[in-house]
Amino acid sequence: MGAAAIELTDVRKVYRKNRIEIPVLEGLDLRIESGTFVVLMGPSGSGKSTLLHLIGGLDQPTSGRVRVGDYHLEEMTERELTTWRSRHVGFIFQMYHLVPVLTAAQNVELPLLLFRMSAAERRERVRTALSVVGLEDRMDHRPNQLSGGQEQRVAIARAIVTDPEVILADEPTGDLDAQTSEGILNLLNLLNTDFGKTILMVTHDPKAAAHGQRTLHLDKGVLERDTMHAPRAAAAASVN
Amino acid sequence: MILPLTYNFRNLLVRKLSTVLTLTVVSVLVLVLTVLLSFAAGMHGSLAASGSGRNVIVLTPGATAESTSLLTPEEVGRVVQTPRVARSADGQLLMSQELCVQSSIPRREPEGFTANVGVRGVDDAAFDVHEGIELVEGRRFTQGAPEVIVGRAAQERYANLHIGGSLDLGRLSNRTFRVVGVFTAKGGALESEIWAPRTIISDVYVRPLVTSALLRMESPGAVPAAIEYINGPTVKLQAKSEPAYYDDLATTSRQIVFLTTVLVVIMAIGAVFAVANTMYSAVDGRRREIAMLRTIGFSRAAVVTAFVIEALLVCVTACGLGLLAGQLVDGSRQDYLSDQTWTVLAYESKATPQVMITALSVAVVVGVAGSLAPALRASRVRLIEALRKA
Ligand SMILES: Nc1ncnc2c1ncn2[C@@H]1O[C@H](COP(=O)(O)OP(=O)(O)OP(=O)(O)O)[C@@H](O)[C@H]1O
Ligand SMILES: [Mg+2]
Repeated sequence: MGAAAIELTDVRKVYRKNRIEIPVLEGLDLRIESGTFVVLMGPSGSGKSTLLHLIGGLDQPTSGRVRVGDYHLEEMTERELTTWRSRHVGFIFQMYHLVPVLTAAQNVELPLLLFRMSAAERRERVRTALSVVGLEDRMDHRPNQLSGGQEQRVAIARAIVTDPEVILADEPTGDLDAQTSEGILNLLNLLNTDFGKTILMVTHDPKAAAHGQRTLHLDKGVLERDTMHAPRAAAAASVN
Repeated sequence: MILPLTYNFRNLLVRKLSTVLTLTVVSVLVLVLTVLLSFAAGMHGSLAASGSGRNVIVLTPGATAESTSLLTPEEVGRVVQTPRVARSADGQLLMSQELCVQSSIPRREPEGFTANVGVRGVDDAAFDVHEGIELVEGRRFTQGAPEVIVGRAAQERYANLHIGGSLDLGRLSNRTFRVVGVFTAKGGALESEIWAPRTIISDVYVRPLVTSALLRMESPGAVPAAIEYINGPTVKLQAKSEPAYYDDLATTSRQIVFLTTVLVVIMAIGAVFAVANTMYSAVDGRRREIAMLRTIGFSRAAVVTAFVIEALLVCVTACGLGLLAGQLVDGSRQDYLSDQTWTVLAYESKATPQVMITALSVAVVVGVAGSLAPALRASRVRLIEALRKA
């Protein structure tokens, strides 16, 4: 195990709504080692997404420290966070969030537009990312010409095309059937084992949780349980 | 750091109806603006330099232009009594009876189009009464011969008006006249006309009466008294000083230009709202997409730019369409406006670089003004809320 890729120290997050304070995370401490696949579970409303957003630089903690790699996110401005996100994290959402008017290849290319990069290099990277997710032959398809599982694969390609260290996935299989979910999870395993990505995935599904090496249970803003388990044998097996 | 144009383009294609509506609104705006600009440009100068302060023009009471005036010989006879009208060296009273008609003749360009030109039938006296008429090429027409002299502006606008050229005039355009001279009128309105012997014009157009009489007074000081006399009970006609006559003509034109300007401004405001409306619904329909773009690292500025560019894409295309439509209307336009008010105007309706630049600027301003607020709303989309499952 290498150095901690992600480190949260005494993180509090309080939402304020009409002068009523809603505490979501209460003094959370967490270390995630580089290259691990961590699963985050917990009841609805326990703050899982909130935690993911803090680590992804989409939101700032009310207090406490959030370090990802060499960056202390709580010290950064919104503008700095925007640039940071484009270079250091890949996001995967339950709803895929693909741009409907763009092709699979153009969707995957989007994050690369934020880099100084030749069109040829972008094309090459897009091709590679799409081949990793097994959709090389669907480059020119629009989202509405793809199945849910394929859409999520395109979204994964978009998350990895910039080669970020950390991948954050919020219920990536929440909208998919069991068999398709299995394919997506195996793909995440592959990104973890073969590409060394640090992955933090939120899920409600215990079967999905079995794909990780470590499971965190969040309840009412505090970490209840932290279970380590041996990497699954399946992880190295077939992606599909 | 900007999104590719295909992204904007495809989004426009997806919402076809609203794109077409916005396109229509902005192209009509550009079309009306182009027409306005060409009128305004034509008006500039051509009326200002017309008329002499020593001259009095006589028309039918109530007529605002020569085209709506008719004087009988008996009425002209009463005018002759006006005190202090100047006389020529050989003792002739300096009064010019004139017959103004409109005729449709071929334009120089676009080829195959015709336009109305003012044809003025005059006697030799006209050259002593009108001030500043100067023959710059050729000679005067001979009374009784089918000959014309043409104003320099008319020569530039209509086909075949070089010396030795010919044109067909008359009620049935069945009489051929030869061009024998070219004249200037100090840049005034008369330079847009064609002059011919009055008796022949009267003949070929079957118009036995005259449309106006122009008097040259002994001095500018004699003008007010003459006007009072002609407007009074003895003559019962309408008299104006010549500059006042052209000024009144210009007033009509100015009013039209003013009203068109008001129309253009209202249309522009309407277009801004039309653009804003469609862009607001575009933004609202794409909140999640915007949140995703911001999440993967696109800045607020990139989002603003994307939406402004999307609106500009429509507005600039509409500008092109409007200018194109302006070219199609062009040329045949003068035929609709056969009132003399317009005939005397040496306006051109070509899409000159200035017209194009102005039209483009207006289209760009409308695009930016209409899309800025929606684009800012887009840039302020709350990421976490927008990303959440519906
Ligand atoms: N912008 C906000 N304003 C106010 N309250 C918020 C806001 N965002 C989240 N919350 C509250 O914070 C709590 C945690 O929300 P969060 O989305 O992190 O939960 P979650 O664990 O991801 O739940 P789920 O499993 O349903 O996705 C909830 O009670 C939610 O209502
Ligand atoms: Mg959640």
